[in-house]
Order: sequence, then C-alpha cells, then structure tokens
Amino acid sequence: MSEPTGSAFGRIWAIALNTFREAARIRVLYGMIVLVVGANLLSIVLGQMSIHEGARVVRDVGLAGVSLFGSLTAIFLGVFLLYTEVQRRTIHAIVSKPIERWEFVVGKYAGMALVLSVLVALFAVAMAIMLTWQDVGVSGEVIRALALAWCEVLVVAAVAIFFSSFSTPFLSGIFALAIWVIGRVTPDIEAAARTAGGWIKWTATLTLEIVPDLHLFSPSGRMVDGVHASVHADFVSWSYVGLAAAHGVGWIITLLAIACVLFSRRDFA
Amino acid sequence: MVAPLAPRSGLRYVYATVANSTDLAIDVRDLVKTYRTPFRRKKVEALCGVTFGVERGQIFGFVGPNGAGKTTTIRTLMGLIKPTSGRATILGHDIPSRAARAQVGFLPESPYFYDYLTVGELLDLAGRLFGMHAGDRARRADQLIERVGLGRARGQSLKKFSKGMLQRAGLAQALMNDPAVVVLDEPMSGLDPIGRKEVRDLIVELREQGKTVFFSSHILTDVEAIADRVAIVARGALQAQGTPAELVQRTVLGIDITLRIAEAVELGTLLEHATKVRRSEHELSLLLPADTDVDAWLARARELGGKLVQVTPRHETLEELFMRRTATTAGDANASAREGRV
Repeated sequence: MSEPTGSAFGRIWAIALNTFREAARIRVLYGMIVLVVGANLLSIVLGQMSIHEGARVVRDVGLAGVSLFGSLTAIFLGVFLLYTEVQRRTIHAIVSKPIERWEFVVGKYAGMALVLSVLVALFAVAMAIMLTWQDVGVSGEVIRALALAWCEVLVVAAVAIFFSSFSTPFLSGIFALAIWVIGRVTPDIEAAARTAGGWIKWTATLTLEIVPDLHLFSPSGRMVDGVHASVHADFVSWSYVGLAAAHGVGWIITLLAIACVLFSRRDFA
Repeated sequence: MVAPLAPRSGLRYVYATVANSTDLAIDVRDLVKTYRTPFRRKKVEALCGVTFGVERGQIFGFVGPNGAGKTTTIRTLMGLIKPTSGRATILGHDIPSRAARAQVGFLPESPYFYDYLTVGELLDLAGRLFGMHAGDRARRADQLIERVGLGRARGQSLKKFSKGMLQRAGLAQALMNDPAVVVLDEPMSGLDPIGRKEVRDLIVELREQGKTVFFSSHILTDVEAIADRVAIVARGALQAQGTPAELVQRTVLGIDITLRIAEAVELGTLLEHATKVRRSEHELSLLLPADTDVDAWLARARELGGKLVQVTPRHETLEELFMRRTATTAGDANASAREGRV
C-alpha cells in the first residue's frame, strides 16, 4: 500500500479541494459578496438618477465590481493561502507525503481559481438580477465582458501566488496590487514608451515586458480592430476573448512555473 | 557493541560503525546543514556531519536537548529542509524523493493541521496524497481513528481538539499509507501519562508488525523503555549511539542501601563516604561508593541494631548519560566560543 500509485492530477485535485474548503471559510469572501451586491444595488439608485441610462449604469458598475472586487479577492487569497501553509506549518504534514512541491503550488492555485470562479459567477448572477430588474436582458456583450473579467481575476491570482512563493503577505499584497494597477494602465505606458526618451522610455518598455497587460481584459473605450469597443454597443468578438484568454493563460503558466521553482528551493524549518 | 565516536574536525564526529547499507531502513551519511542569519549573514551550523543508520524493524530513539539538531535532521529526512551537504536514504531511496516519502509515515513536531477538517477528512486528504483509492481510504481511516482512540471525536473539527487529541490525529495520518518506516518527531509531547503509554504501546506494536520506527523525544524514560537503539545528538553532532544497555555504563557507580534502624541510634562511622542520606523514624537510606566493602559495612550496621531492607548496585541511567554527554558538549562549545571559533 505504501508504493505511490496516484497520479499528479489526483494529488493536485486533493490540494485544490482542500484549498477550496479552506477559502470557503474565509469571512472576507462573504464580505466581498455583500459589497458587490451593495454596488449593484447602488447602480440601480444611480440609474434612477440618470436619464434613461439605468441599464448602462448597472452594466458599468456591475462589470467594474467584478473586476475590482474579484481582483482584490484574488490578491487577498493569493498572498495568504500559500503563506499561511508555511507560517502555520500545516505544510509539514503535506509536503512530507509523496507530492512534489510544484503539485502543491498548482493545487493551491487550482483551489483558488475554483473559489474565484464561483465568486465571479455569483457576482455575475447579482448583475444579471439587476439587469433583469431594469428590463434589459444579459446581452452577449455582457457575457463576453464577464468572461474577460474572469480571466483577469485568474491572472491576478497567479501574480499574487507568484509573490507569495517567496515573500510575506504584506509585501506580496503590495507587489501584486502594484502589478494590477500597472497592468490596467498599459495603454498609458505604451504611450510613454513611444513618446518619451531616456530612462522613462527604457523603464516603460521594460515594464510592458514584465507586467501582464491586464487592460486587454477591459477593452471598453479602446479601438479594437477599427471598432470602438463598448459593452453597451459594439463589443469585442469571441475571438478577441479567446486571444486575451490565451494571453492570460500564458502569464498564468509562466508565473506559476517561476513560483514552483522558487517554492521548491525553500526550506520549511 | 557501543559504536565508537571518533573526533573528525572541530565539533564534527563520525559514526565509525560501518553497517551493511542494504540492512538499513534509514541511512544518514555526513549530513551538514548550514544557515545564514537574516541580516548579519552569520553562519550557523545546525547539523555538523551527522552520520547514523537505522536497521530495518528497529525502534530508534533520537534524543538531544533543545536546539541539538533533532528536528533539523528529521525535517531533512522528510524533504522539508535541503541539506548543505551529505546524503541520506530511506529504504535505499535518496532523499528528497517522492519514492522515499511514499514509504514513510511522518508525524511532525507539535503537529498543525487544517483546523476546519474533521479527523476523517484529514485522513482522507492524507490518503489522496498517497494515491489510495476511495474504498481503501475510508477503511483505513476507520481503523486508524479507532486505533488512536478518536472514535468519539470523529465528527468534531480539529479546531476543537486538545493537544493530545491532535497528537493522536497526527499519528493516525502518519500511518495512513501503512508505511514501512515511521518517523515521529516528539510523539509523546503534550500527552498525559496514559496517552504516553498508549503511544509507547503503539510504537512497540508497529515494530511487531515489522515496521521501522525512528522517533525523537525529550522523555528519556520513554526512549529507554522502548528503543532498540538510541542516538544522542547535541549541537548538531552525534555524541553517542548504541542500545540503551550498551550506552549506559555497566560498571557499578555506587550502592544504594536501605536499612530499618531506630532514629535514636548514633550512626557514627556508618555514614563515612555515604551520600544521599535520608533518615526517617525507622528507616535509613544512603548511597555508598562503588568500592565500599558492603559485607563489613552491613556487619557494623547490624551491630547497631540495623536490619537490611535492600541493597541495590547503582548503574548509570540514560538520563545521566544524556546529561554527561550534553554537558561535555556545552563545555566544548564554551571553549570554542572562547577561542573565537564558530
């Protein structure tokens, strides 16, 4: 019975399931749900104050809520869930079993991704209820925008877990938040890289290389394929969503790979 | 035979007995672990060339004072810490490796588990990590929960467990994969006398099942009672190794005597060279030097009206050996510090 017989997938799933259980007990998550529902209710009030723009306000506030609160939750979970395993020494009884360290990191991420996906789904349901209340349905544009926001949240979670693999929650939180903010303003950094000179150009170019382009996941207001993208009118196509998701997956794999290497080198004294 | 320890360099020692490595469940060779302090980057040697072997089917006790290197050695064996140099194998598999860990059950020191799980869920998680099938996991978990006496607490979350109950849960998860080698870091810690006895019995039972048990402990009487072989570690180096009987000096260190004698009797020369003298209304007990002529001493005692209750030759205990060995090391350390050596 003591020979290892399980698959890597089985071990990753075991960690993911346990992480899901652990995260589901964190009260902050329920606070986030309350905040998102509150933001959606506020959008109804704001919609009433606008002139015939109720649905627009609900869509904007709802999507911003998914992106903002989803990303903040991803950072919170990412920086704490891995760190607390080490700090509380629960990891001692886990990595002493026949599981590779990379399987543990991937399992933690998978569990977090599961929690965040459920959370984004709940946020989406709250938004859909508000839109139905406004007598407008959930359009394809909104679904595509939600899919992009979901991808963004998963990338931000990978950023947080990457920092958490070698740093404290405080520093990891600061770094992940900084990456999220910088990642959201990549068009401005691109402009700086094009127009500025000297060290500003150099820094902007380097930043674009090492920071995930999170602005890809909120294309509203940008020109995409010659069309002004707007979730209220002409939004990006599913092929754009697919490409953005592939970009996100690339970042997730890269960040997790580095996190796995760093985590494998750590001593758990 | 007691394994001789030869000085190698500075505080390092090497275990000179060369055992056939195929007989060894755990084989540790010249293990070194060096840390750097966070800011001053000062070098700290947690393990200075630890070498020992644990034969299959043995109970091996690993004792030493706090900070001696016991837990560092165990965590290195379990792949939690990477050694700076040296080599270790478990059942012939190099550590750290998944193959080695698959054959081992491990109880960490002061075990911390996910407090939102029940003991059954904890064992299920452990079983999943060992690649056990669902049916096997459930059966094994049921057996172990009963075996460690947590049957009544199986519905409670670990958050509500006492330290002793957590220790039992830890033992259960360590045995989930029916391991050939069991590594227990301070398994008796936090347990009451009944709990300690139960753990001792469990360890002996594991040996009877043909398993190898390697455990560290501060409780020397427990180690002396059950270990087939003992190693004493201090300041990151092995100080002694052997069976408890081999390790303690078999020469008589003194003679414990108990007499029944009235308190009013003047003892005179009877107390010459005696130590640890205790006298009550009707009884006198004392310790005489090993070279005392006991017959002559008893004859004088009888002349004073004394009646013999007990005469016991006194041998060194494991605790005394431990104190002697670790005190010597502390002395070496002080000398090293004076000489400016790290």
